[in-house]
Amino acid sequence: MDFNPSDLQRMLIDSAERLITERFTLEHRRALRASPDGMDGDAWRTFAELGWLAILVPEEAGGLGGSMTDAAVLATVLGSRCVTEPFTSTAVMGATLLAGAATPQGELLEALVTGEARFALAHDEPGDRYAYGVPRATRLTTSGNGYVLSGQKMLALDAPSATHAIVTANSPAGPALVIVPLEAPGIEKAAYALYDGSRAADLRFDNAPVESGQIVAEGTDAEALLAFALDRTRIALAAQAVGSMEAELDICAAYLKERQQFGQPIGRFQSLQHIMADMFVAAHQARSILYFALSKLDADPAQRARAVALARLQIGEAGQLVSRQAVQLHGGYGVTDEYEVSHHYRRQLVIEKQYGDVAFAVRNASFRQVNAHV
Amino acid sequence: MDFTFDPELEDFRRMVRDAIATDLSPEMAERQRAFGGVNSNHADTIAWTGILNARGWSVPHWPVEYGGTGWSPMQLHVFNDELNAAWAPDTCWGITHMCGPVIYTFGSEAMKARFLPELRAGKYYMAQGFSEPGNGSDLARLRTSARREGDHYIVNGQKIWTSGAHASEWGFFLVRTDPDVKPQQGISFLMIKLDTPGITIRRIPEINGDADLCEVFLDNVEVPADNLVGQEGQGWTYAKFLLEHERTTSSFVYFNKREFARARHLASIETANGQPLIEAPEYAARFARIEAELIALEWSVLRELADEAFKYNRTAAASTLKIAGSRLQQAISELQVDILGTRATRYYPFEVEEREEATALWPGHIPGRTANALISRASTIYGGTLQIQRGIIAKLAFDL
Repeated sequence: MDFNPSDLQRMLIDSAERLITERFTLEHRRALRASPDGMDGDAWRTFAELGWLAILVPEEAGGLGGSMTDAAVLATVLGSRCVTEPFTSTAVMGATLLAGAATPQGELLEALVTGEARFALAHDEPGDRYAYGVPRATRLTTSGNGYVLSGQKMLALDAPSATHAIVTANSPAGPALVIVPLEAPGIEKAAYALYDGSRAADLRFDNAPVESGQIVAEGTDAEALLAFALDRTRIALAAQAVGSMEAELDICAAYLKERQQFGQPIGRFQSLQHIMADMFVAAHQARSILYFALSKLDADPAQRARAVALARLQIGEAGQLVSRQAVQLHGGYGVTDEYEVSHHYRRQLVIEKQYGDVAFAVRNASFRQVNAHV
Repeated sequence: MDFTFDPELEDFRRMVRDAIATDLSPEMAERQRAFGGVNSNHADTIAWTGILNARGWSVPHWPVEYGGTGWSPMQLHVFNDELNAAWAPDTCWGITHMCGPVIYTFGSEAMKARFLPELRAGKYYMAQGFSEPGNGSDLARLRTSARREGDHYIVNGQKIWTSGAHASEWGFFLVRTDPDVKPQQGISFLMIKLDTPGITIRRIPEINGDADLCEVFLDNVEVPADNLVGQEGQGWTYAKFLLEHERTTSSFVYFNKREFARARHLASIETANGQPLIEAPEYAARFARIEAELIALEWSVLRELADEAFKYNRTAAASTLKIAGSRLQQAISELQVDILGTRATRYYPFEVEEREEATALWPGHIPGRTANALISRASTIYGGTLQIQRGIIAKLAFDL
């Protein structure tokens, strides 16, 4: 057992810290709000050049064949500056679904690695609340030699900057994962911003044409593949939350030393010191359970899902404690857009709500607990 | 990073498990299960230490030259995990984790030769004389004095929270040998035999029916100067060494795992409206939260054992383990009480052998749980209160 980064991971952390710290300043991130899709296209190309998008792509598909631990190491650095580039949607969710596809997706994987293709999962439907493993109202039906896709999807994270959607649907063979270029006919996209600056869209499919090669997986294979990709994505997001929490510790400690009240730095006050200590404990425990979840990602699906649920629960609640107290420690400045802590707060709020919130994690962690062997 | 356990550890685990199964009598395990507190009863503690010593395992974490096993930190982790899972009694922590390490690190050769064989053989129980009525968290101002007269010290003063003193042959004490220097500099570490004339021990009745905490009154007690450990005036340094030496012990992670497993068992046999409590949503959610915190704690311990490079002062990590571990002791024992419901309020004598036989109305899993939960309130008080730990983190991690 070794908790220190490998040489490769150390390089990844160093290059990421350099790029992210220099480029993703508070001013830069605020400026990105004015861009049409919320993305920093130049930075994304650099991500591709540095090989970040290729980490989870198998070597035979032109990727690095890396591990989720490598991806998580990078994700913590992204989280430290609230970077909302569509890294998890493409390099984790997209790469996992494409690499696990029943029909080979070599061309798209190549385009993913170069940064040209970006992916968004379109799963949620009206009235849904984390409805995974539940039949979809969106239908894939045969039409001529091919298929058509129809249905209403909501809250497809990162769809505004994506080139392709990966859509969950009901097909004649049961559940299906279908990959659709977003400029195809029969697709209507309503895009909007989330509170952390990332973007999502509602997607309406109206007899959008689909060829059989676009069906990534069907039946129980589709369910299993989606569950695996979701668990990886949940952990990649949780890793960003851990990075965000740890950055907040530094930001708050510096602020407590600098801010003067009653003729002294407010860090001299024991009530505020104890808040910092509680944040420290929460962030430390969050990183620990992140490691536990990473150790279980390749275990059998029941063990994996349970470990992910426990980690999302612990990290979600730790993130709430840390990000809320970080605002409190900053007083009025904490609720302004001009201080980092309000950005971390919003980023962690959005992360906590993606692909299952704390309540969802509690239910999943406890549902399976009677016969658990963690 | 590599989060996999070395497969050879599983062989080691089986070896340890088989050895414990051979050595631990069902009666002793059952007493520990019925009792289930943080410490075990003194007689079993002494007997079990002797049994472990026969295998050379009573102080596995000590350096090999002083009777340790040379096991890796991960092997020690597995060993402790197996001991707890099998309901083995504890060893006397005052000996194995406090006084022993101070003696082999700072004591003279004569002191080592005199004490270490007895300590690892479990010849007797030992009490820790640090706190005083007026000096708890502010330990450095302790006032119990030791005045040198010829080849003796004359000790006067009063100690409190001297757990197990009534059942101990020896105590290790912090005493003030020099009143004229800075508080931290005038303190020495002194071994005192508790049957020495001038010592009075009073057991303090506790919240849970036990009376293990003690007050020790020292009235002109003559202690041979040979009983001084290390250098005069270095006692504070040795006490601080203790705190930093055993960074993971105060997590109580093995104890917490064992008691969490017990809580699960209790919630699967206790029912409400015909449904096991563990399936009731409010309990299921509580279990999930505590389990997540417990797994996080265990992996925090593993990070420490595997010597992760750490951005912050390591002692801040130790305080983190102490905070999380003590909260879990409380959360798990409170959960057990809540699972038992109103029946948890029935008073039972603290000593297992003084309790009535189990009946159909009052089965054997009821007694002991509330006693444990009541004294668990102390887990955020002893060994540096929760507030002291927070202060340590603020200072050492953030320089506040």
